[in-house]
Amino acid sequence: MKRTATLILLLVLLCGCTAAPAKSNDTGLNRYEATFLTLFDTVTTIVGYAETEEAFTDTAQAFHDELLEYHQLYDIYNEYEGINNIKTINDHGWEHPIKVDQRIIDLLLFSKELYTQTEGRVNIAMGSVLRLWHDARETGIADPSRAALPDQAALEQAAAHTDIDSIQIDVEESTVFLSDPEVKLDVGAIAKGYAVEQVCRNTPSGLLISVGGNVCPTGPKPESGQPWVVGIQDPEDPEQYLHTIYVEDVSVVTSGDYQRYFTVDGVPYHHIIDPDTNYPAGYWRSVTILCRDSGVADALSTALFTLPQEEGQALLDAFQAEAMWVRQDGTILYSPGFQAYIRI
Amino acid sequence: MREKCKPVRLTLCRGDFLAVCLVLMAAAALIAGWSMGSGGKAASVQIWQDGIWKGEYDLMQDQEIQISGSYQNTVKIQNGRAAIIDSNCPGQDCVKSGWHEDARQSIVCLPNRLELRLVGTEGEPQVDGVTR
Repeated sequence: MKRTATLILLLVLLCGCTAAPAKSNDTGLNRYEATFLTLFDTVTTIVGYAETEEAFTDTAQAFHDELLEYHQLYDIYNEYEGINNIKTINDHGWEHPIKVDQRIIDLLLFSKELYTQTEGRVNIAMGSVLRLWHDARETGIADPSRAALPDQAALEQAAAHTDIDSIQIDVEESTVFLSDPEVKLDVGAIAKGYAVEQVCRNTPSGLLISVGGNVCPTGPKPESGQPWVVGIQDPEDPEQYLHTIYVEDVSVVTSGDYQRYFTVDGVPYHHIIDPDTNYPAGYWRSVTILCRDSGVADALSTALFTLPQEEGQALLDAFQAEAMWVRQDGTILYSPGFQAYIRI
Repeated sequence: MREKCKPVRLTLCRGDFLAVCLVLMAAAALIAGWSMGSGGKAASVQIWQDGIWKGEYDLMQDQEIQISGSYQNTVKIQNGRAAIIDSNCPGQDCVKSGWHEDARQSIVCLPNRLELRLVGTEGEPQVDGVTR
C-alpha cells in the first residue's frame, strides 16, 4: 500500500511539473495580451501574466492612459483642448514663451542632451526639413502618380533653420520659446521611446510592452523568471525574423528603411533623414539597438542609422549599448556584446 | 529484526528504482507530447475593429472576408494561414505584412482600426514581441 501511495504521489508530482511550463499552473498566473491602436499612430501590444483577466486589463489600461497623456503632449500634428503640446510650440512658440507641462520640458532637455552626445545626429530642431519630407511622403503614398521629391531650394532654406539653441527653455517658468520663427520641432526620433521609458518605470514588473516595434520589458516573465523572446524583423520579408533574442532588462528599438517610405520614379525614399545631406540616410537597411533606457535606444537607432559603423560603435560604447546593423546587401554586423542576447 | 528487514528493503529499492524509471519515462513522453502540441500554429483568427469584436474564423476553412469602415480590407484565409490581401488604405502596410500562421501574431490595418488576432493553440508562443 505504502509503495503504491509513493508511486501515485511521484506520478502526480511529475505530471504537475510537466504541466507547469505550458499552463503556468504552479504560480496561478495566466498569460494575457492587450492591443491598443490609439497611441503614437502605431500598434501598442502589452503581454503579461496575471491571476485574472480583470487584474491584467486594469494594468494594461493604466499603462495606456498614462502613455496617452504623453502622446497628446508630444503630438506635432494635432491639437487637444486645454493642452499646450509640441504643436502649440511650433505654431506660437516664436510669438511668445509657451507654458507647458513638465513632461515636455523634460523631453526637450533630454533631447538637447542627446543632441550634444550624438554630435547633432539626433536633432529635434530639424522639424522644417522633416516636414517637407513628411508632406512629400503623404502625397506620394496617397497618390503615387503625383509622387515627387521635396523642392531642393525649399530643403536648403529649411535646413538653414535647424539650430537647436533656438529652442529656449525656462525651467523655472516651465516655458518654451523659439528664438527663430522658422525653427520647428519634430520629436519623432525620440519622443516615443522616451515616453515608453517614463511610463514603464511606473508599471509593474513582468510585462513586455511594444509600441510600434519599440520593445520594452519590465523584468523577466513572472511565472518562470525566464527572459522574453523578441523577434527582429527581416527587412526583406516581414514574415521572417533575422534573429530572435532574449531580453529582460534592455529595450529593443529598430530603425529601418522599410518602415515608412514613398517611391519616386521607382526609387524608394524612407523617413530617416541624414542631417548632413537633408536626404534619406543610405548607410543601412536597418539598425537594431539594445539599451537599458528606451529613450536612449530610440535616439541611438536614428543616430546609428545615419552613421558609418565605427562612429556608431563609439556612440554605443558611450551609452553601454549594443547594436546589429543590416547592410544594403543583407549582410549583418554586430557590436561585440550583441551576440550574447541571440537565441536563434 | 535486521535479518528480516534486509531482503524486504532490497526488494523495495529495486521496485522503487523500476517504478521511478517508469514514471520518468512517462514524464518524458508527456513533456515531448506537450512541446509538440504547443508548436505555436494558430487555429483561428479573431477580427477586431475599433476594439470591437467582429467574429472568429477557422483557419482550416478557406474563405475571404470583406471588412468595411473608413477603408475596405479583404481578409483571406487559406491553408491554415491568414492575410489581408487587398486594401484601399494609404500605405498598404497591412497588405505588405503578408501571411501569418503562428498563434499570438497580429495583422493590423491602422487606418481602418482593424486587428486580426491569430489564436488557438495552448502553450508559450515562439516569440513574445517583435521589433520592426
